[in-house]
Amino acid sequence: MEEKVGELWHRLITRLAQDRYPQAAVCLTELDKTLGILFRALGGDGGLRLETAGATHHHARRGLLQRIAGSATKIELAWRDEHALRLPEVIDLFPQQSLNRDLYFWLAALASGEQGRVEPWLEKNQRLTRETLRRYPGMAGRYQRLLKAHLSQRPDPARLRPDEAAQEAAIRQALANPGAVSHLAPARHAPWPVPLWLHPSPPWVSQAGSDSAEPENASAGEAQNLSHERSRRGERTEMPEAERGLVTIRMENILSWGEFAKVDRGAEENEDLDQAVEAAEQMEQFNVTRDGKSVASKLRFDLDLPSDACDDEVLSEGLLLPEWDWKRQVMQEAHCRVMTLQAADAQPMELPARLNRTAKRLRAQFQQLMPARLWRRGQADGSEVDLDAYLRFATERGSGQLTNADNLYLDLRTGARDLSCLLLADLSLSTDSWVDNHHRVIDVIRDSLYLFSESLSATGDRFALYGFSSRKRNPLRFHQIKSFDEAYSARTRGRIQAIKPGYYTRMGAAVRHAHRLLDRQPAQRRLLLLVSDGKPNDLDKYEGRYGVEDTRHAIHEVRKAGIQPFCVTIDERGNDYLPYLFGSGGYVVIRKPQELPRKLPLLYARLTRE
Amino acid sequence: MMNKSVTAPARELDEALPFYKPQAREVELFEYGYRHQLPVLIKGPTGCGKTRFINYMAARLGRPVYTVACHDDLSAVDLVGRHLIGDSGTYWSDGPLTRAVREGAICYLDEVVEARKDTTVVLHPLTDDRRILPLERTGEILKAPPEFMLVVSYNPGYQNLLKGMKPSTRQRFVAVRFDFPAPELECEILVGESGIDGETAQRLVRLANAMRALKDHDLEEAASTRLLVYAATLILGGYEPVEACRAALVEPLTDDTETASALMEVVHASLGR
Repeated sequence: MEEKVGELWHRLITRLAQDRYPQAAVCLTELDKTLGILFRALGGDGGLRLETAGATHHHARRGLLQRIAGSATKIELAWRDEHALRLPEVIDLFPQQSLNRDLYFWLAALASGEQGRVEPWLEKNQRLTRETLRRYPGMAGRYQRLLKAHLSQRPDPARLRPDEAAQEAAIRQALANPGAVSHLAPARHAPWPVPLWLHPSPPWVSQAGSDSAEPENASAGEAQNLSHERSRRGERTEMPEAERGLVTIRMENILSWGEFAKVDRGAEENEDLDQAVEAAEQMEQFNVTRDGKSVASKLRFDLDLPSDACDDEVLSEGLLLPEWDWKRQVMQEAHCRVMTLQAADAQPMELPARLNRTAKRLRAQFQQLMPARLWRRGQADGSEVDLDAYLRFATERGSGQLTNADNLYLDLRTGARDLSCLLLADLSLSTDSWVDNHHRVIDVIRDSLYLFSESLSATGDRFALYGFSSRKRNPLRFHQIKSFDEAYSARTRGRIQAIKPGYYTRMGAAVRHAHRLLDRQPAQRRLLLLVSDGKPNDLDKYEGRYGVEDTRHAIHEVRKAGIQPFCVTIDERGNDYLPYLFGSGGYVVIRKPQELPRKLPLLYARLTRE
Repeated sequence: MMNKSVTAPARELDEALPFYKPQAREVELFEYGYRHQLPVLIKGPTGCGKTRFINYMAARLGRPVYTVACHDDLSAVDLVGRHLIGDSGTYWSDGPLTRAVREGAICYLDEVVEARKDTTVVLHPLTDDRRILPLERTGEILKAPPEFMLVVSYNPGYQNLLKGMKPSTRQRFVAVRFDFPAPELECEILVGESGIDGETAQRLVRLANAMRALKDHDLEEAASTRLLVYAATLILGGYEPVEACRAALVEPLTDDTETASALMEVVHASLGR
């Protein structure tokens, strides 16, 4: 009963003390794109994210009702720090929606002028206001409207104590006539917050995360979501802070690794096939074994996901491939076993809706690349008479020469390009890492595969999609997503959806196998497109120099066979080793992994241009 | 021979000099190039004054200019010439490049990266010390006179993933980079070109620079000086300024309605409601 009454009382008094207008609220999520563009256009730093500002205590005197209700102790104010422009998640200060909207625009414009100089709050905001109004005269009308509405909401100086009244009067004057007030008299309470200005003492980012803004952080997810691309850029340029910013995610990973950690793999360094098989069989047990003690440093962790038997259907087994040993400079025959797999549980599906727009655009672009239909002259058979050929024939016959009446027709044919492309995607466990808050590398690769197939199916070029990962030299897991002979269909899309990261990157063997597949293609031009996120590596000695040399050898063979290899990587350190593998024109490093899906088809277009 | 504009030779001198404000030392460079028979490559974003510069220089040097707007179907034949059928059999018709070589004119290939790859076959012998144009079809070999000058331009930011100039072609030119003029200069250009008052010109330039800051991030292309001139012309003609900016600066740059409305906010902020 007591509780019930308390609750009712709380609701009543909160409503009475309420000075917000939820019905006129404007959310940051509605405007974030517009605000971002405005902010950048007015001179704001393009590297900044747009984020929601947490509410902070303002320590100002509150009205009686508000004090009773215990509300209105906090306010969301905007500020800008070196990472982000922070705006309130929702603005509902004014009864009209248009005013709340205006306030967002005003704050973005105000913040765009901030240089990060340290100066007193009052002066800074007056200076910013003055400058914004001078540089963007169009903002004046907006400011006047906001000012009028805001002044009517500020506490009445006549009803305050003298010291507070003086302060309030000064602020009113500073608002109405920016630059006029240079000093704020001290008073018992902080002045009533000014939502038209930037935050007086913006909390440091770390604080915002830890103390005051815990609940806001949770709801801020949405807004951060929208600016993830920008946030990524920010992270790249500001390295040390970025590490800190990613802490929550890293912790998560560390926790999940903990579950798989400390796997005892004693048979690790052993090259013996039988033992490797045995080790593989024992894997399942080891994977779930937990052990509080640290393991010997020479043992590596194996973070493998479900064992191969349960997820994928085995298509062919026992194909053996050689591997190059650079130390001994010999080819080790029959060194790796390739296992071609196909996702068993892949359901036919449509293209994900978020890709529809890009896919449509790419398809249109690629359709233009497709060779036009051409009249072929001098055909033995065709839909029209080739008049030139006929004339020649008639003249020759008329002049008494005996010629055969063949090849006298025109035929309309599509000038299909004689081209086959095999796309080989790296599906090793490293693709499980995150490129930003919401995308893993594998997601980016998956989107790339979708858009690539959409684009290529528009041209009519023959293409195949494969993915690979490896667990030492037995087996190399070669995932067939689409073979050359299959048509691109809903089933293919299902298989693209089903790709998942696992194991390691024995690139050389994968390239050799792709080479074999391409060799069977009769096309004049053959392209091997490798999409990767890092160096070749595997658990055994396939690391560092050995892996690079083997891959280089495989690429070299590919090139010798007249197949054009090309590597697209999102590994920023790719410039260190890729020129060695592919030659300076044979690869490209995509700096922003999010761009890979869009860029990959365009790259293909450039590669295959005559 | 479609999509090709061959401007009439502008032989009239000084009084017909087109309006042009130099950005740096490009006028000097061009004159050196002309005097020493060096081909010139001009790169810069759309609408920053490349074509105007060529016309200005041509008028200054008193040479006719043949402008060819290159497109992706433009082949060597379109530049060199072809046989046409007339009353009494076929006859040879010079293309713009051949005509420029014969007359000792300036040949300007605009957006040269758009042209088909086989055009390099005719450009290479013209751009090294041989300075010859072999006409394969007629068996003629034209030696370019000292007055002949080849100028090509392209926009490096434009679809650069799909198209680029071959390094072997690029290396035959002296190159100069154009960019949008500095704000004061751009104001002068606006005033000079459209006749608009200085204050409006300043606002427009500020607005354009605000929108240029969005290139690559939100917009594919930056607002060009040419678009600014359009906006100024509309405003001077009595069109409502904000609407003029919408028509000349916002809509030409983006198709995305959300971006367009954000850009309109920038316009409002700069020009006032």
